[in-house]
Amino acid sequence: MSTDWKTEVDKCSKCGKCHTVCPVFLETGDESMVSRGRISLAEALRDKQIVYTDKLRDYVYSCKKCMRCRTVCPSGVDYEVIISALLSGVAENMGIPLLPRIIFRYILPRRILFDLMLKVSSKIQWLIPMKRRGQMRHLPLLFMGKRWIPTLAKKTALQKFRKTKKLKNPKMRVGLFTGCLINYIYVDIAEAVVDVLNRMNIEVVVPQGQLCCGTPSSTMGDFKSTKKLADVNKEVFESQKLDAIVTACATCTKAIKMDYLRTLGPSWQSMSDKIYDISEFIDKYCGDEYETKPIDEKVTYHDPCHLLWVRGISDEPRNVLKKSSDFVEMDQAGACCGGGGIFTIIHYDLTLKMLERKVASIERSGADTVATNCPGCVMQIADGFAGKNSKIKTTHSIQILQKALVDSGINKEK
Amino acid sequence: MKHFKKTKTESKKHQKVLNELIMVLGGEKVLSAIEDRICYSYDGTKQKALPDIVVRPGCTSDVSNTLKIANKYEIPIYARGAGTGLTGGAVPLMGGIVLDLKSMNRIIEICPEDFVATVEPGVVTKHFQDEIAKFDLFYPPDPSSAAFSTIGGNVAECAGGITGLKYGVTRDYILALEIVLSDGSVINTGRKTLRSVTGYDLTRLFIGSEGTLGVFTRITVKLIPKPKKIETLAAYFSDRDDAIDAADLIIDNNILPRTLEFMDQMTISAVRGYGEAPIGEDVKALLLIDIDGTEESISHELPVVENACKEKKAFKTKVAETPRERESIWAVRRSISPALYNIAPHKINEDICVPRSKIKEILQKVDQINEHQTIYIANFGHIGDGNIHVNIMYNDDPGQAALAESIVNKIMREVVAVGGTISGEHGIGNKKSQFMELEISPKELAIMKRFKGFFDPKGIMNPGKMFI
Amino acid sequence: MKQETHNNKIQAKVFEELCDAIGRENVFDNIEERVCYSFDATKEKSIPDLVIRPHSTEQVSNTVSIANQHNIPICPRGAGTGLSGGSVPIKGGIALDLKNMNRIVELNARDLTVTVEPGVVTKDLQDEAAKHRLFYPPEPGSAGFSTIGGNVAECTGGMTGMKYGVTRDYVLALEIVLPDGSVINTGSKTLRSVAGYDLTRFFVGSEGTLGVLTKITLKLLPLPAKIGTVMSYFKDIDSVLNATDSIIVKNHLHPRSLEFVDKTCIGAVRGSAEETIPEEAGAFLLIDVDGNEKNVANDISRIEALCRENSALKTSIAKTDDERDALWDVRKSVSPSLFKIASMKFNDDFCVPRSKVREVLKKVYELGKTYSIQVAAFGHIGEGHIHLNVIYNDGKEMDLSVHKLVSQILKEVVLIGGTITSEHGVGDAKAEFIGLELAPHEIEIMKDLKKMFDPKGIMNPGKIFI
Repeated sequence: MSTDWKTEVDKCSKCGKCHTVCPVFLETGDESMVSRGRISLAEALRDKQIVYTDKLRDYVYSCKKCMRCRTVCPSGVDYEVIISALLSGVAENMGIPLLPRIIFRYILPRRILFDLMLKVSSKIQWLIPMKRRGQMRHLPLLFMGKRWIPTLAKKTALQKFRKTKKLKNPKMRVGLFTGCLINYIYVDIAEAVVDVLNRMNIEVVVPQGQLCCGTPSSTMGDFKSTKKLADVNKEVFESQKLDAIVTACATCTKAIKMDYLRTLGPSWQSMSDKIYDISEFIDKYCGDEYETKPIDEKVTYHDPCHLLWVRGISDEPRNVLKKSSDFVEMDQAGACCGGGGIFTIIHYDLTLKMLERKVASIERSGADTVATNCPGCVMQIADGFAGKNSKIKTTHSIQILQKALVDSGINKEK
Repeated sequence: MKHFKKTKTESKKHQKVLNELIMVLGGEKVLSAIEDRICYSYDGTKQKALPDIVVRPGCTSDVSNTLKIANKYEIPIYARGAGTGLTGGAVPLMGGIVLDLKSMNRIIEICPEDFVATVEPGVVTKHFQDEIAKFDLFYPPDPSSAAFSTIGGNVAECAGGITGLKYGVTRDYILALEIVLSDGSVINTGRKTLRSVTGYDLTRLFIGSEGTLGVFTRITVKLIPKPKKIETLAAYFSDRDDAIDAADLIIDNNILPRTLEFMDQMTISAVRGYGEAPIGEDVKALLLIDIDGTEESISHELPVVENACKEKKAFKTKVAETPRERESIWAVRRSISPALYNIAPHKINEDICVPRSKIKEILQKVDQINEHQTIYIANFGHIGDGNIHVNIMYNDDPGQAALAESIVNKIMREVVAVGGTISGEHGIGNKKSQFMELEISPKELAIMKRFKGFFDPKGIMNPGKMFI
Repeated sequence: MKQETHNNKIQAKVFEELCDAIGRENVFDNIEERVCYSFDATKEKSIPDLVIRPHSTEQVSNTVSIANQHNIPICPRGAGTGLSGGSVPIKGGIALDLKNMNRIVELNARDLTVTVEPGVVTKDLQDEAAKHRLFYPPEPGSAGFSTIGGNVAECTGGMTGMKYGVTRDYVLALEIVLPDGSVINTGSKTLRSVAGYDLTRFFVGSEGTLGVLTKITLKLLPLPAKIGTVMSYFKDIDSVLNATDSIIVKNHLHPRSLEFVDKTCIGAVRGSAEETIPEEAGAFLLIDVDGNEKNVANDISRIEALCRENSALKTSIAKTDDERDALWDVRKSVSPSLFKIASMKFNDDFCVPRSKVREVLKKVYELGKTYSIQVAAFGHIGEGHIHLNVIYNDGKEMDLSVHKLVSQILKEVVLIGGTITSEHGVGDAKAEFIGLELAPHEIEIMKDLKKMFDPKGIMNPGKIFI
């Protein structure tokens, strides 16, 4: 993948339009924290004017990889190619800090070890061995610091759905890619997915060998680890006979539907075509069929970056919510909540600013509940409200549908 | 210019300047790491030159202190907004200090009763427009870059933008400025009133001075009531001259559209596919027209405009039905400048302005000048004002850059010969300084240089710009 | 206010030199002629040593160049209708009357531009433009007799500024004779140009202190299809301001003009115009809107309603052009009618933020009372621009207290965030007050720039700066 970034950077006309959408730049106004700046740094690297330094790494890590910039770039720069090259350059040249490296290389690929580590880590507080702007309180996937994150589930989603609930005459048979957050923390989201789909007469398989999608390692430029994870996931899902694969995590969808095309090559295309976000799937295949009794709550929707800006999905989750609740729109629904990966660690202060804005938008909407389609966003936003003792609930939109779904006709379990 | 100019070695002087800046402003506001300097080395021209230091002031006194130090050590200083300029205005050609004013981005006050607002230079134009829209007020200057360029940059270049025909340019909306001069002293020009003629008009002297005379730290602008309604119409022509005739006929009908934008065939081919409704191959010229006003005025003007287009052989006209359609039409227009890179990797962007009656003539001249198969010229722009963006696109092959330059040279001569100007709104920067003498006689140039010498005796303010 | 005579007689040699250079028929040294060019509308007088009436740029250039050689002051003059002493030759020397340079050089309808000589009367240009269905908006009260050159030199605003801005916004290019006699061209005859520093606007409003404008290129607009006019009488200024607020601020109607006059002014014009003014009227608003037929009808009825809502005593809508002229006659006769009250008048034309008009008028009337001097206010209230007239009868003691009052008023104006002059210019009448508004180092910059252009100080000396 590092073949074409060197020419891709030349496409940048330096017009500055990425300023308009970059959630990080909108907070900082730092030219070094926007695509145009990082592209100029990439050029300088290519031309051997600079080398990899701590500072450069910080600027590279300051990217949230939401890919909004790509959606507005009039010169058609594929920024993802460039940022991936930078991340991998950082990893190759500066190495990855020991702890994440161990996790990515040895633990993530091994389900049992991962399970074990999380159990241990829930008991102790760690600081990762890197010094940078802001305080590094936690690695949200793994550790609990000063932030409020939900407790780990006693039984993971994979464990819970070891056995597939067989339907008599299923309309379709789909696989669920759980992703780590749902598997370990938000098992109830997985339950909602399975429950809703089952009630829509769709059989749900949760393939047991599946691993992390690889985003955490890609985020830190460790594409080798990502490739390993992808290889396993490919094998696991290809071995099943599935009509579709659904996920309830925007980031996992982006990873396995989009990023794997690069990681695994064109052979992944046919699988990629079958991968859907859960709302996208329901809207497409069951949109006109299911019946609901809308819950008596005002619900608003937060667009996860990886769903809106990478995949352009915005109507589908709203369609589902409109059928299931008293839906209200919030201002700047597409603004980043600030959550996500390494960024929250290196640039914790910015994370908080973005979160504050998001929380304020939600409050202005007058909603009782904010729904979204990404467990990462759920965790981030819930953290924002927990700190404020707010009554506003944060949930996944599938859980709203789960409550509103009426069992009649098609919805009736056979 | 692929390579950075050689930067000064970390000389003693440089170190002293750095230390002094850090001492006065604090380390947070002074950046000197190579990674930071790279990020402030370019603008929308793709030129690059590495500054030695980047200063990110938080207030007027930070700017003043920086200038005092720069003046003391005679270090070049480059004021920079969003770095989206198209003539190299913000590129630190001679090294020295880049003053990144994005960090001064507060809207200080909006007075809806007085139709006046005061902002810091780093406020993004569109952001400001959105804020005042909450009061149903309107700040018309609207360069294509409005969503990311800053008001400070707009004032420094005297940007026009797409609403100029009806509403005038940036200059017409600036009431007062707070300016830090090269010695660090602060002056206030103009007044926060809708009219003032006390003394010489220093305000206007500084507008469009491209950071060569001083640094704006506060800008007071005039606002007007926001038009109640806007309608957008796109008219498609199979002949370029027809589109120009239609523009003339619209204005002859005593209508000043809010915007009257023209795109030629080459431009259309570059942006084809950007909008939601693709533009057909048979379209050889396009007019994008906004009409604004009240319900009544629009209901009167829109049919007149549409008929004028049809009378001048537009084969299709389309009125935007929804805000989304309108946005989609304009998104295409705003994409042009960068999208031209789809034609060829290099661009020389000229923004000539001629009397409207000379547009056909000048475009014919441009065609004649470019008989080269390898170079493409895309023309688009604010046809109502006669402000045409002439973009000369060329590739990497040897000799092409020189060829493109020679074309520009010839075009500029023709422009001045028909009574036009070499820059309608982008400014001179370093990209056009060589053409200044085509338009400006030695005598007037000498006067301008005296102004420069007066305000900036040591020549530290944006050196290498405007004059050769 | 002041009357001065000078004895720096122009030497016979220089006189001959001037006659040779520009023709004896254009050079006048008889006292009758000199007296006629000794004043402007401030009633200030100072007799020039010579009057020169050039017909061309070349003649201007020759005149200026000879004057420069011999250190003779030059005072350029349009129609001499200024209200700050700008064209009064207070240091003697040459009064340069530009009224003979009054050709419309070219009107380019397609390009929306026109180039004129400075002596063209503003109204003549407007009429010529109207033939092409074009419009030159700046319209000072004196438009019927003042010149474009004078308007540009002072940067006049006028009645239409609310919607259309001021003279500055319409000047595209200038031909200027500098104090050394050299001729420069600034700007470009295009609707936009940003090549180099904006010398054009630097000269706009420079009051003849930097050079002589010999050609002026202006931007024109399409002529509005229709103008509608409403006159509305109120019992006091408060109601006028309330009506103004609801028209402009609350409803965002954007009138072409929004003129108010106060009670003293009404007293002065009562009876002199056809329009019958209600007995109890303590102020009026005269409002023009323009645009197309429907728009105008709509705006006029809304504005009338808003005036009534704000307790207008009477409203009249002009139905014909004659009726419109009659209404405007009332407004236009205000300034001259004030001389009915007393023989002397000092014209302030300050501008404050619109939200401060109430406050500043209150202060001004209080000050008038304190000094027992009558003040009359009228003006372009939509922009916060007030023509404040201090009316008094001549006399040494009176002069002194008028001066005190004026300086007190201007102090208040500046304190409130206003400017001491919005369109009349500084001239010599307000030169002593610029320090209220401009910081010393800002004045120094202006003086230095003046020196840069006019090292010998021959251009309109005694103006702007003391």
